[in-house]
Amino acid sequence: MVDGVVEPILEVSGLVKYYPLTQGILIKKQIGAVKAVDGVDFALDKGETLGIVGESGCGKSTVAKMLVNLERPTAGSIRYKGEDITKLSGRALKTVRRNIQMVFQDPYTSLNPRMTVGDIIGEPYEIHPDAVPKGDRRKRVRELLDVVGLNPEYINRYPHQFSGGQRQRIGIARALALRPEVIVADEPVSALDVSVQAQVINLLDRLQNDFDLSYVFIAHDLSIVRHISDRVGVMYLGRIVEIGKDEEIYGHATHPYTQALLSAVPVPDPEARARRERIILSGDVPSPTNIPSGCRFRTRCWKAEERCALEVPLLAVPAVFRLAPGPAAHDSACHFAEEKRVVPPEEQAPGVLDDLGNGGA
Amino acid sequence: MLLEVRDLRVEFRTRDGVAKAVNGVSYAVDAGETLAVLGESGSGKSVTAQAVMGILDTPPGRIGAGEILFKGRDLLKLKEEERRKVRGAEMAMIFQDALSALNPVLSVGDQLGEMFVVHRGMSKKDARARAVELMDRVRIPGAAQRVRDYPHQFSGGMRQRIMIAMALALEPALVIADEPTTALDVTVQAQVMDLLAELQRDYRMGLILITHDLGVVADVADRIAVMYAGRVVESAPVHDIYKAPAHPYTRGLLDSIPRLDQKGKELYAIKGLPPNLMNIPPGCAFNPRCPMAQDVCRTDEPPLYEVDRHRGSACHFWRECLNG
Ligand SMILES: Nc1ncnc2c1ncn2[C@@H]1O[C@H](COP(=O)(O)OP(=O)(O)OP(=O)(O)O)[C@@H](O)[C@H]1O
Ligand SMILES: Nc1ncnc2c1ncn2[C@@H]1O[C@H](COP(=O)(O)OP(=O)(O)OP(=O)(O)O)[C@@H](O)[C@H]1O
Ligand code: SF4
Ligand code: SF4
Ligand SMILES: [Mg+2]
Ligand SMILES: [Mg+2]
Repeated sequence: MVDGVVEPILEVSGLVKYYPLTQGILIKKQIGAVKAVDGVDFALDKGETLGIVGESGCGKSTVAKMLVNLERPTAGSIRYKGEDITKLSGRALKTVRRNIQMVFQDPYTSLNPRMTVGDIIGEPYEIHPDAVPKGDRRKRVRELLDVVGLNPEYINRYPHQFSGGQRQRIGIARALALRPEVIVADEPVSALDVSVQAQVINLLDRLQNDFDLSYVFIAHDLSIVRHISDRVGVMYLGRIVEIGKDEEIYGHATHPYTQALLSAVPVPDPEARARRERIILSGDVPSPTNIPSGCRFRTRCWKAEERCALEVPLLAVPAVFRLAPGPAAHDSACHFAEEKRVVPPEEQAPGVLDDLGNGGA
Repeated sequence: MLLEVRDLRVEFRTRDGVAKAVNGVSYAVDAGETLAVLGESGSGKSVTAQAVMGILDTPPGRIGAGEILFKGRDLLKLKEEERRKVRGAEMAMIFQDALSALNPVLSVGDQLGEMFVVHRGMSKKDARARAVELMDRVRIPGAAQRVRDYPHQFSGGMRQRIMIAMALALEPALVIADEPTTALDVTVQAQVMDLLAELQRDYRMGLILITHDLGVVADVADRIAVMYAGRVVESAPVHDIYKAPAHPYTRGLLDSIPRLDQKGKELYAIKGLPPNLMNIPPGCAFNPRCPMAQDVCRTDEPPLYEVDRHRGSACHFWRECLNG
């Protein structure tokens, strides 16, 4: 920490995960690789929520798994309070892992059906016995149930006796058991109904305030990500293609993929139908075993030019915006980055509209 | 009216008891019109659709009462053979999961062609040509080369487009799309919804679109039927409902969508859980979760009150709800 610059709680750089593609049964020969994550950089500040969005298969869950050490990176570093946790092992690793916990997408399969809720939530104490003395564990579990809004009397029930939203709360309680500082939530509400989604989002919000948590929040629902995030990173085929404060991304996206993604989001306002400009992308996402040269988005990009096939665009503030401070000046990996209005004006909050005219807050 | 469902009731007999999945559903859709059916998981959207299509699992399912009028005829009174004819040629269904709805061991060309062979008596060769045409129509690149490919060789979005091609092959008067884009990514979802809307316009089909995405509904629907615990609790033209809902449940759904101008604030959340269909609360089924509930709501089941000529609400206090 120099000159009052606060060090991020989590700093990821050059993160890569390749899964080998092999052929043959007896003698396995590697014939290629699934490039699930292919060079991801981001930082997470204390108390902050970083949202990560992107289409199915772009590598979101793989990033999440590496953050909580369920997968080992092929390359790159993950610094927790300055220390590269990918280099740690044994006791040192175990201590760090306590502080980064995960909430999974599927509340139906991520809980062991044969364990009681009390055992599920208390399981982390078996792995980290020094966290809470044995005699106090039941009491802690009851407190956790209460914290996530479940009746502590339910401690002996089984997962199937709960609804999806309640099961997600159990998953959250388990993630909180070791009092972590960072929570990685991989699509925590995607499997839930609209009415129940809001309950879980509110809970996550409240817990963040109460326990000063930092979140990496992964989802494909852009409205939910926007609601909960301070900053948002957009992933495409294993890389972050654009990242910035939520208003920079939602109001001033400069990457064509982000613009297409935003324009495709259905807006719950029938009056907006006529006003909307939809960017309908042609084609499908290429296979992560065969990533296009240059800009990986070029096979679907309506702006692609020759340069895009030759030169990999770096994730940085594009040159055109570097001298003009404002919300468009954020990291975007595109050779031809420019703003494009994709969300109908009435969708914007009044304050946001004002910002547009005078270069932003 | 092209299709009119009147007071339909369906129940399932299971080991644990009788689940009242559909409890008096009424809705209607006209030619060229899109009706969106909205509601949480388990509210009876799919079961109603299955009853209309005549593909309900019976047993354990049983249609207890009601009428399904299609072009004026009650489908529930038809013999199975007549019913099958209607189902094949005049109405079609698109499912959420295309991979499980398509036959994995037949090429997509054969599956599409089969429709023309069976229902139109075409030769195999002509049928294949029509299959290529259809694949072209749903924008499968290189249709002529890909007609021999099997379902697993296509991406999720392409499979869903092939499903649409299959449903539209015989130019049915009514198409029911049950969550056709839920399994797809937003960018692909937009491609598929666009295509569906375009084809619907061209063929002037009646479309019933089942979804729980309020955004998709706002984009494409003419009318909305909101279901709760196996009933339509509000039915209205799309613009009216988004402007001012006449049922507290609809209001709750709309309010729980994250909105830009409410960032950082707590989201509105409908409290409690969806009802247990084996034990639906007496009176208004929504009463344990409803912020407006009064004593009468716990005893008297609200009928579908007429809000105006185009609009109905199953709430005793629809006036109060409408006025905020
Ligand atoms: N263990 C594995 N072996 C081989 N390939 C894998 C493995 N795990 C993931 N992949 C591949 O890596 C890519 C990224 O997968 P990942 O699960 O991270 O995507 P995602 O962004 O989370 O997608 P979704 O939104 O569908 O959850 C995919 O192509 C996936 O098939
Ligand atoms: N074959 C069946 N046997 C027993 N119960 C069934 C059967 N099919 C449906 N049900 C029950 O009927 C109720 C209504 O189901 P339905 O599939 O219509 O819900 P839905 O509104 O389509 O929900 P979703 O959004 O999850 O698709 C559910 O409680 C379901 O469990
Ligand atoms: S670099 Fe080229 S292909 Fe990539 S997003 Fe920008 S314009 Fe499109
Ligand atoms: S009838 Fe009563 S409980 Fe039911 S929705 Fe209306 S106010 Fe709420
Ligand atoms: Mg994932
Ligand atoms: Mg359904």
